[in-house]
Amino acid sequence: MISPLASTPLFHLGPVPITQGVVTTWGIMLVLIAGSAFVTRHLTLAPSKLQSVFELLVETVDNQVRETMAVPPAPYRAFNGTLFVFIFVANWSSLIPGVEPPTAHLETDAALALLVFLAVIWFGVRAGGVGGYLKTFATPSPIMIPLNILESITRTFSLFIRLFGNVMSGVFMIAIVLSLAGLFVPVPLMALDMLIGAIQAYIFAVLAMVFISGAVGTRLAPAPPTPVTGKGTP
Amino acid sequence: MTFDWWTLGLQTINVIVLIWLLQRFFWHPIAGIITARRALADKTLVDAKASSLKAAAALAEIASTRAGFAAERAAIQSAAHADAAKIRSSQLAEAAKQVTALEAAAKARIAAESEADAKAWGQRSGVLAVEIARRLASRLDGPQVKRVFLDWLVAAIAALPEETRQTARAKTTPFDAVSATPLDATEQAHASQTIGAAFGGPVSVTYSTDPNLIAGLELRGDHLTVGNSWQADLIKIQAELQHERHA
Repeated sequence: MISPLASTPLFHLGPVPITQGVVTTWGIMLVLIAGSAFVTRHLTLAPSKLQSVFELLVETVDNQVRETMAVPPAPYRAFNGTLFVFIFVANWSSLIPGVEPPTAHLETDAALALLVFLAVIWFGVRAGGVGGYLKTFATPSPIMIPLNILESITRTFSLFIRLFGNVMSGVFMIAIVLSLAGLFVPVPLMALDMLIGAIQAYIFAVLAMVFISGAVGTRLAPAPPTPVTGKGTP
Repeated sequence: MTFDWWTLGLQTINVIVLIWLLQRFFWHPIAGIITARRALADKTLVDAKASSLKAAAALAEIASTRAGFAAERAAIQSAAHADAAKIRSSQLAEAAKQVTALEAAAKARIAAESEADAKAWGQRSGVLAVEIARRLASRLDGPQVKRVFLDWLVAAIAALPEETRQTARAKTTPFDAVSATPLDATEQAHASQTIGAAFGGPVSVTYSTDPNLIAGLELRGDHLTVGNSWQADLIKIQAELQHERHA
């Protein structure tokens, strides 16, 4: 049995190994972009049912940004919305037989967390300049600067470790149960894995909003929801 | 556990590209259409508000116009009442005038008709009275009555002027003695003798009858006629009655 912690290259592009997670990510990207282009090709003021569903998704993301960050949602919509949609689709891609979700591998989750880390710096500098962003480390007191710097790094690790642990553990448990019990026994676990995948996508996106909100200097964000997990570590 | 830095880089780039493409093909268009719909809805609301205000203004104007209608209607009604009262009084005066004229005309016509009726009834009553008298007198044509009428004839001749009697005596044409009933020979001889004595000399007399005389004896000549009968008396009475009525 191949360890779920290992990323096995499928092929190489020169020196670059292409793993299954990367290929799956490309597939997800293709589906999302093609689907988006198809949906937004004929947008009308009197929306169809399909258009209404996607408008509801956009409205939900905007409302979440407003409630969490207390800022106009437009600059943050694409980043946070895409994080949620990608993680959600990636987590649920395990429903397709033979497909392993990219978020079950450490590199993908680390890439997402790295993007959140960079986005925090980017949005913070854009909102208050370099000085304004650096001042956020001195709140509530300058003596907190080392702790705040350490926190900005550790929370990034926490972010991708949480996602990786939850998704990887789900895939791992289903693989074990499937190898031991047969065809239909893992179905409840797969349903639970879907629920956890959706929740983790939501948590990741909301935490990203909270981190960015702290850097932008808006109001104190509400406490991040407690991750609900049936297995693994939050 | 292994960690592939190449994969980390590729996935980072993949997600950045995905964020960019979805921003271009999904988030921006969908948010744009939502914004456009909200703008349209806001515009519709603003238009509806403006329409509502306009409708309220129009309603107020209609109410004002209706109030004007009421005042105008009251003024028209008042003017109509005044005109009607004026026309009514004028027509009443005209009607009273016409009634007065009609009444006067009717009274005059009634008076004329009454007078004509009175005249007609008087005439008819005179005729009726004469007729009644004629019928009554016709029953009195006996010998005594004949003698009385002969006496009255003699008296009438005696009352004539002498020149008239002389002329009558000289007259060659006989007088016609007319009676209502025929006279027998004795009566004719007696009458001729008495009449001659009345003229003062013999005169020629022929006899004839005329039932219209009722009773009596008249003497008719070319230039002299002595009326002596009920008919002549009744005619004379009727003429006097008419003369009295006319008077």
